Amino acid sequence: MSKSVMQISNVSKKFPIRDSKNLFTAVDEISIDLMEGEVLGVVGESGSGKSTLARCAFGITTPTSGSITILGQSLAGKSRKSTRELRSNLGFVFQDPAGSINPRMSVYDAISEPLKLRGDSTDHINERVTFLIDRVGLASNQLIRKSHELSGGQCQRVAIARALATNPKIVLLDEPTSSLDLSVQAQILNLLEELRRDFNLTYFMISHNLDVVAHLSDRVAVMKDGKFVEVGTSTAVLTHPEHPFTRELISVYSQDLDISPALPANFNLDHWQDGPLNKWAFQNISAFLPIEEIAPAIKPVDLISAPLAGIEELSIAAEGQEYSLPQILAETHTDALIVLRNGKVAFEKYFNGMHQDSVHLLQSVSKSILGALYSNYIEKGVIDLDKTLGHYVPELKSSVYGQATISQALDMTVALSFSEDYTDSNSEMARLDRACGWRNNFTDQDQGLSSFLPTLTANGSHGKYFQYCSANTDALAWVISRVMGKPYSELIEAELWKPMGASNAASITLDQEGLAVGNGGISCTAHDLALFGQLVLNEGSFNGQQILPKAWVNATMSGASKEVAVPAYLSSLYPEGSYKNQWWVTGSKARELYAVGIYGQYIWIDPSTETVIVKMSSIPIPVDPAHSRMHMSLFRAISALQ
Amino acid sequence: MSTVLKVSNLEVDFIAAGTVINTPLRGINLEISSGQTLGIVGETGCGKTLTATSIMGLLPSSAIQRGSIEFAEHGLVNAADMADIRGSEITMIFQNPQSAFNPIFTIGTQLHMVAVRRQIARNKIEQLLHARLRSVGLNDVKRVMNSYPHELSGGMLQRCMIAMALISTPKLLIADEPTTALDATIGHQVLGLIRSLQQSEGFAMLFISHDVSAVAKVSDVMAVVYAGRVVESGPTQDVMNNPQHPYTKGLLGAIPSAKKPRGELTAITGNVPSSLKALTGCSFAKRCTSADAQCLGEPPIIQIKEQVIACWKVAP
Repeated sequence: MSKSVMQISNVSKKFPIRDSKNLFTAVDEISIDLMEGEVLGVVGESGSGKSTLARCAFGITTPTSGSITILGQSLAGKSRKSTRELRSNLGFVFQDPAGSINPRMSVYDAISEPLKLRGDSTDHINERVTFLIDRVGLASNQLIRKSHELSGGQCQRVAIARALATNPKIVLLDEPTSSLDLSVQAQILNLLEELRRDFNLTYFMISHNLDVVAHLSDRVAVMKDGKFVEVGTSTAVLTHPEHPFTRELISVYSQDLDISPALPANFNLDHWQDGPLNKWAFQNISAFLPIEEIAPAIKPVDLISAPLAGIEELSIAAEGQEYSLPQILAETHTDALIVLRNGKVAFEKYFNGMHQDSVHLLQSVSKSILGALYSNYIEKGVIDLDKTLGHYVPELKSSVYGQATISQALDMTVALSFSEDYTDSNSEMARLDRACGWRNNFTDQDQGLSSFLPTLTANGSHGKYFQYCSANTDALAWVISRVMGKPYSELIEAELWKPMGASNAASITLDQEGLAVGNGGISCTAHDLALFGQLVLNEGSFNGQQILPKAWVNATMSGASKEVAVPAYLSSLYPEGSYKNQWWVTGSKARELYAVGIYGQYIWIDPSTETVIVKMSSIPIPVDPAHSRMHMSLFRAISALQ
Repeated sequence: MSTVLKVSNLEVDFIAAGTVINTPLRGINLEISSGQTLGIVGETGCGKTLTATSIMGLLPSSAIQRGSIEFAEHGLVNAADMADIRGSEITMIFQNPQSAFNPIFTIGTQLHMVAVRRQIARNKIEQLLHARLRSVGLNDVKRVMNSYPHELSGGMLQRCMIAMALISTPKLLIADEPTTALDATIGHQVLGLIRSLQQSEGFAMLFISHDVSAVAKVSDVMAVVYAGRVVESGPTQDVMNNPQHPYTKGLLGAIPSAKKPRGELTAITGNVPSSLKALTGCSFAKRCTSADAQCLGEPPIIQIKEQVIACWKVAP
């Protein structure tokens, strides 16, 4: 077992932020040991803290906290002389070779400078410089040249010779080849390996180039936001990455170049939700709208597959005729269908180019996710159901939300002047879409949710009628984000997506000021949405923990009070139907619960048969009663299967 | 498929005090069909950028250009014709986005200037710029338009430059090392963007890079240049999988990977010659391990299927 030559223990580095009392944490509690003779490759995006960590480790900057031990001696609290002695064990090679060599110095001066500073004799210096210049593959007649007379590769060789002058044990290689041509890069990489072997050097290498890291490193550490998210042998990390960020880094790097979809030629921001554009748009929201990511769990939950016999052969009676399953799925423009029975995957099928890992816009199913999220904060006492929205977000005080309570907004019993007409480009719904960035907005009005929502006014008394209004959910998303002081996406990630074990990153669209579009902006995979459905079916307990309050799930399933009047479109479909906590309830004996989004997005939960159905679609028009009835028949037929 | 650009026997001399001091291009031949991407790969000083500058008609007065350039329906074009074509039918994106923009104007202003110059109706400009910025993945259009170049990251600026180059819906886009100044991750995203835009908008592209893997990813056909000449060209798949010229083989061998043993990358010894004046025969001979006396003569052009190689040592 080789010995440790550098110990980095709990090192943090914080910088002050201009005009703020807070500190920016560039390096966050990092610990790692460098073993003698090894090459550690540190990778990560620009700004992840790689260089700051290296500067701390090599004593160029002092860490805010933590300690660095080099060859058993601490770097801190030493006299200047002994620090200098300790530092002669360290060498540095930087990215821009021409820039790191003083243009007025000759090659000889550059290489000999560290030795002169150490106070070596002239004879020794001459001998050492001659030895080094030969070892790095340069002719001795180059010694009188200056850096501008050398090629990039030659400059880098000089920089390497200089780094090795004092016979260091550990060498920092900060992007050592990124400014070099391919064939020169190969020469330098070969040289670095040869020198490492001959002088038993340890390298601390920083690079963006994963090929270079894979080639030269024994171990790889992946850095993100000042932390190591993954450390391991380079084969393990680069070929079997565990952490989602490493996977993303590698996939970005090795991707076939077709992942960032360009907009279709006929793309129009005013019509992307309608067919046929929505067939593309619902799966590619991030191509045309700003989004914030909702990260998946580090250890995702894999659902067991247990096919349910008879689904494929189903015959569904709807709209006066009999449909086979393929017929009804085609008729309702299905993109994905997953059926869970007793928590296992009973059926799973994708259409229209979708697959297990593709995300799809949820439209108003997003609202039901907000409902679930709120239950946690209500339980914790962070949010009071009887307070008004304006109480939490003062900007809303003079609007309808200065009177309506959180509870009324969740149950959609806020009485306000708002037409939820998806097809009228002058309705409040269209203004909301413009404020969300979901439609072109060439006016000065409604620039963002924070300017649109405060303009909404009351129309009647609250708590008496069910009035489905998307703006309520956006206001609720704003409230919770303000109360928690965090982006809405982070709340979903922390409270739902990570605890329940989501496999893929989800996302939510943002308005131009960065507020999340809570009413319909979430995109996720069908699989993760089914997990979420299962979580609700399990009364909030899933993946070994109670993620949502059990009482909330039960209250939601019981539906709204009978005194709340419901519109005909709901009672004609479900005579006892109601809306509670951002979920729809059929009011039938089976206590079915469902989430629905325009253009055919569904989660259907039937506790009586332990069934969860997720359906993603791209129906050409937003709302159609015939499609609603077909979906009801389809889901009940599947749910009734034994 | 029609030919968009055809460059034949392009040679460039640099003159000082009446004498030729260097001949950096020594007979470049290229052809790009509509909707196709041609990747030019080669090391520093091999003439990649100079080829682009010659095509654009932007050579300095100290340069003499020979050979012919044909562009789309214009046929043979000279530097004077190029003044009208440049910026409208042929546009270009450059290596360093930070220095390609004027630091004292906002991005919006600079995009506006281009749109006005391209005679786009005033009432259409705003909408067009919004659409263009969205198409390059910059969805926060307002912020981007109101930003000065220093307020945006390199990746965002490069996206702005791509948006700017596409305002006039060009027939040919010349991309000169568009990802070299970006970090690897961002560079790959920009590559993906360029490739997908090219496929959706259907322009032809001349993609120049010293990074073989970048060229392999975006191009349909590629040309390997060395010392002012195309030493090997052909469909990208063929050249990458079955390189023939010793220089191409050397370049591909130099790509680091975990699969190659450490310290044993194929490194081409020596350097690219700094002056090509009075160079005869194969310019790679000095660095080539297979070279012999024969290589002092002008190398023959060998064709193997669709690959074209200039080398004495490749058997037809």
